[in-house]
Amino acid sequence: MKLRTYLQGTALALVAALPAYAQDSTVTVVLSEELDILDPCESSRSNVGRVVLQNITETMTELDPDEGLMPRLATEWEDMGDGTWRFHLREGVKFHDGSALDAEDVAHTLVRIKSEDIVCEIGAKFFGGIDLTTEVVDDTTIDITADPAQPILPLLMSTVTITPAEAPLDGHMEEPMGTGPYVFDEYRRGQDITLSSNPDYWGETPEVTGATYVFRTDSAVRAAMVQTGEADIAPNIALQDATNPDTDFSYSNSETVYTRLDTTMAPLDDVRVRQALNHAVDREAFIGTILADGTELATGMTPPSTIGYNKDLQPYAYDPDKAKALIEEAKADGVPVDTEITVVGRINNFANVLETMEALTSMWREVGFNVDLQMVEVAEWLEHYSKPFPEDRGPEMVQAMHDNANGDPVFSMYFKYASEGLQSGVQDPKLDDMIAEATAATGDERAEDWSEVFSYIHEQAFDVMLFHMVGFSRVNERLDFTPSIKTNSELQLEQISFN
Amino acid sequence: MKQFLGKRAVASAVSLLGLVVLVFFLSRLTGDPTDLYLPVDASVESREQFRELHGLNDPLVMQFVNYLGDLVRFDFGESIRRNEPAIDAVLRGFSWTLTLAVITMGLVTVCAITFGALAAFNVGGRFDRFATFVSLIGASAPDFWIAIVAIVLFSVNLGWLPTSGTGTVWHWVLPVAVLFIRPFGLILQVVRGSMISALQSAYVKTARAKGVGNRPIIFVHALRNAMLPVITVIGDQAAALLNGAVVVETIFGFPGVGKLMIDSILQRDFTVILAAIMVTAFAIFLMNILIDIAYAILDPRIRY
Repeated sequence: MKLRTYLQGTALALVAALPAYAQDSTVTVVLSEELDILDPCESSRSNVGRVVLQNITETMTELDPDEGLMPRLATEWEDMGDGTWRFHLREGVKFHDGSALDAEDVAHTLVRIKSEDIVCEIGAKFFGGIDLTTEVVDDTTIDITADPAQPILPLLMSTVTITPAEAPLDGHMEEPMGTGPYVFDEYRRGQDITLSSNPDYWGETPEVTGATYVFRTDSAVRAAMVQTGEADIAPNIALQDATNPDTDFSYSNSETVYTRLDTTMAPLDDVRVRQALNHAVDREAFIGTILADGTELATGMTPPSTIGYNKDLQPYAYDPDKAKALIEEAKADGVPVDTEITVVGRINNFANVLETMEALTSMWREVGFNVDLQMVEVAEWLEHYSKPFPEDRGPEMVQAMHDNANGDPVFSMYFKYASEGLQSGVQDPKLDDMIAEATAATGDERAEDWSEVFSYIHEQAFDVMLFHMVGFSRVNERLDFTPSIKTNSELQLEQISFN
Repeated sequence: MKQFLGKRAVASAVSLLGLVVLVFFLSRLTGDPTDLYLPVDASVESREQFRELHGLNDPLVMQFVNYLGDLVRFDFGESIRRNEPAIDAVLRGFSWTLTLAVITMGLVTVCAITFGALAAFNVGGRFDRFATFVSLIGASAPDFWIAIVAIVLFSVNLGWLPTSGTGTVWHWVLPVAVLFIRPFGLILQVVRGSMISALQSAYVKTARAKGVGNRPIIFVHALRNAMLPVITVIGDQAAALLNGAVVVETIFGFPGVGKLMIDSILQRDFTVILAAIMVTAFAIFLMNILIDIAYAILDPRIRY
């Protein structure tokens, strides 16, 4: 009898311990990797951003892909000239520890992202080579000066997560903290991260009252978790797992795939050879076959929603005969078109990257190029992609995927095309001037200048521009949420509501 | 016995030191963690700053001497990527893996010995053929495939079990079941083979002649003598599990030391690689000593 009672008790306990499926007003998000670090100054990393950015820690300004730059912690800003911008902070905003947000916190944040004793990705990625100085005017007004002057400083501020003045300058924060609509509760390493809503939030109270983030490396498992109701959102699943039109969304993920040409070296220094490489590629043939439906043909390095993206440009038409004719023409002028060109691809860069690179290589061979494909791991790939380039290299074409969801080409153009750019294969003083001019311009003139930069790069065929990629998300039907270009870098819980 | 344990401890310590030297230099041969930590477009200054902060600019030999100096004080260093000491991450992962390994190997041992012994009792019989068939399939099926199929079947289609993760008893069912299959198949075969020879031995015939029943013959007379090779294989299989059940941990999102080790290798997080290897190596040395002791208990002829 005793044994029976015990067994019944155990059975009841086991039933009670059945997985608590996602329910009511909290959501569960399944990310593709465990987070190493949760410091807000690392929130430019995709998965850190999806937890921290605008949920826990907010930025001064915020880029809306449709509306442009919007106020967040700053209500307005003005250009004071000489590289200085004045920002007016929102009043009555409090950090999660109860202290009020003031100009000192902003000043401290800007020091911290460039601190010598920690490496913060936001500082390394967006403020490399830029010196920032601040002057606190009053509690809610701050002047920020950038050297060299940054005409898009307000846009740059949309990347900076504002942390309190107590945040350490010599180490990462143990627990992320900010002014956002959600408070960090707990990180059970290897298991989950939990957030709950911030009762003192300055903005509207969101519908979602809390969130749990879990980590699964396998895409099929992430998709299955949303299907079974164990999770509500899988921001990133593989093409082959996106099989249910009711729950699966494809979205332009701000990644652009291209092949960087080393234009300083023959035969790639000849524009006809570069154009021939472009005409040899049947871009349409990739879409819906080895790349997902919805992938767009690219004519520029940044997504089409970026300021100044030149929508008049047409991708190079697939024309093998023209490619052959261009090669012949160059050959007649003594260009060594038969030189072997190494194509460097990056293993696991995106789904089907190997198939994509093999197809490209065979298309180039088809028109007569002598190309050799090498697929390498990221570290070796970086040696080819970033300067300093190897001294004893031959002519190279390096496949890469570039992400710019920040709305302005400035985050891409200097690095990728200027003579001094870290990943640039171009040495063209005219282009250097054009980039410098566009970088310094404001308003409509800025858009026009960038548009000309896109057009010049396209004419000169400085690279083989390929595709704007798409990502896939699975979203539980109980949620009203549509993934967008920003889902690649953030997941704002306050934008989610329930059906 | 004491002397034996002392000798083993010294030998283990020497091996461990050799391992540290080997792993320290081999892992650094793979390249610079800076490139993997910082984004592609990070500035040259940021890269330099990162190297300086993590002592990656020092000569290799000096890095090694510093590392050994810290190690003597049981300081395994800070993880380059994680905001915590390397040993914390490793011990946390190892405790999950150890639990998983103990549960799985406990079940495997009991089941494989029982079924193997019964199969050997009537060689060629229906039960033997069934057990052999099942164990061969188990020992040859790839575990990632079994894991995914198990999730699709039991979680997605039937809805009986959670797909992955931790939290309740039910979360353990699929990972343990998937890990169970291969060692079960292997050990069952070893038990069966070893039992067949034991059952043909002279002392079993004598026992039979005296009229001893089947059950005592299998479980008392033959099994104990058949156990020596079985213990060796159990030890091997347990060591494999302690190293981390990488595939299972990855698919089921189980925060064990195997996945941690793979991630730290891919990210060149040197301190975590070293700490993980030392902790698992220590556990395996410990287990080998236990196995040696088990030999002595099972076979009175073995004396250390």
